Amino acid sequence: MHLELGNIFINDVQFGSQTKVENKTLYVNKEELITLISEDEHLKSVDVELAKPGESIRITPVKDVIEPRVKVAGSGGIFPGVLTKVDTVGAGRTHVLKGAAVVTTGKVVGFQEGIIDMTGTGAEYTPFSKLNNVVLICQPVDDIKPHDHERALRMAGLKAAEYFGKAGKDIEPDEVLSFETLPLLKSIEKYPKLPKVAYVQMLQSQGLLHDTYVYGVDAKQTLPTLIKPTELMDGAIISGNCVSACDKNTTYHHLNNPIVQDLFKQHGKEINFVGVIITNENVFLADKQRSSNWTADLAEYLGVEGVVVSQEGFGNPDTDLIMNCKKIEEKGIKTVIVTDEYAGRNGASQSLADADPKADAVVTGGNANEVIKLPPMEKIIGDLSIVNTIAGGFDGSVQKDGSLVVELQTITGATNELGFNKLTAKGF
Amino acid sequence: MVHMCTVTPISLTVGANRIIPTIAIPYPLGDPKLTKEEEKVLRRKLVEKALKALETEVDGQTVFED
Repeated sequence: MHLELGNIFINDVQFGSQTKVENKTLYVNKEELITLISEDEHLKSVDVELAKPGESIRITPVKDVIEPRVKVAGSGGIFPGVLTKVDTVGAGRTHVLKGAAVVTTGKVVGFQEGIIDMTGTGAEYTPFSKLNNVVLICQPVDDIKPHDHERALRMAGLKAAEYFGKAGKDIEPDEVLSFETLPLLKSIEKYPKLPKVAYVQMLQSQGLLHDTYVYGVDAKQTLPTLIKPTELMDGAIISGNCVSACDKNTTYHHLNNPIVQDLFKQHGKEINFVGVIITNENVFLADKQRSSNWTADLAEYLGVEGVVVSQEGFGNPDTDLIMNCKKIEEKGIKTVIVTDEYAGRNGASQSLADADPKADAVVTGGNANEVIKLPPMEKIIGDLSIVNTIAGGFDGSVQKDGSLVVELQTITGATNELGFNKLTAKGF
Repeated sequence: MVHMCTVTPISLTVGANRIIPTIAIPYPLGDPKLTKEEEKVLRRKLVEKALKALETEVDGQTVFED
């Protein structure tokens, strides 16, 4: 399976009379976009704002961040099984508006979570401060059921991303990247001397609005399975969760999974990247046992020598992570796990809820309990009053001058467990 | 002490001695799929199991499976 990704660089976003891409600028016809998103009867009002890198803007709460993409050649459409038919994606050609994103805000279900600052200290902690964002502010109708509300917001963001993606369909990309996954036996034949490596991606599926969808199927109702890495680049996996925003994968993360990107970079050089196993993080012990057994069996069946495992979220998924690691190691396969830490504000507590001596190669996205101070912003998109009650916020988080004292976990993507962030540590 | 919990591996990691496996993380001692009467029976069974575990001498960490 061969996919070409055509990146169209976007350096600016502006409102205009027609939605189009011209001279690396995304022009947004605000009225047309509002009409499209307002078609959903679950939404009472829709508004659109723009947020560019360096502007004094705070966006909160954040439901999802999505990169505009469009299928140019090959079967299926972007976000298969959700926006388009369930055709298999991941082959042919896809165009990407690189540097642009859709961000969804407005009242979200349950806890109001996630902050994106476009400048200042907070901007350094979120990758989305570097993008030209089209922000959708969606308010639901009164008396809406929580699940309908979550779905309406999720679909609004995806629809907007598809709408902008189409504007790049006939544009000549600035760069074209090429990715190929061969059938397993052919891949082994092609690189017989390189160690075979697979990627195990754990998907948030605790329910209660902590969900992820694969070709439209709720991940908690799935068994571990194989998926080709290029399918992820066409939106086969989408986010349905945003609680404790620092380590949840937005749809943008799924489309641009850095572990997949890095494994492809070493493919054919240092390793043979043979494929991706996706598994879930359910709330029943039997589900955790079944899924981790299955994941380890699939890794063994692929005959790989090494596996990278990424987690999504924290707390009880730490057990899924450790079970996956332990059971894969017991098959004689080396593992590296990618996680983040809740080690308390002073960093002295145990980082994960579960542990095992076999988890001896760990990459961390950082300590989500670290307290940071964010300066006030001139403009708020969304609702700032919620910051007192979000995970990682506390009574008094919002200071009189509009600055915030919060834990790192409030910031969207700050300790992302795919490594889509820039936190580092130095030893002295 | 008895620790009633769904994710028994975490209970083992944090060092509990007597562990009773429960239903699910969002509802450890109940089950919304059951009727109220059935749920009461389930709850009582779990509590009785925990009390019995309290009376049981253990030699190291023990998970009280059925």
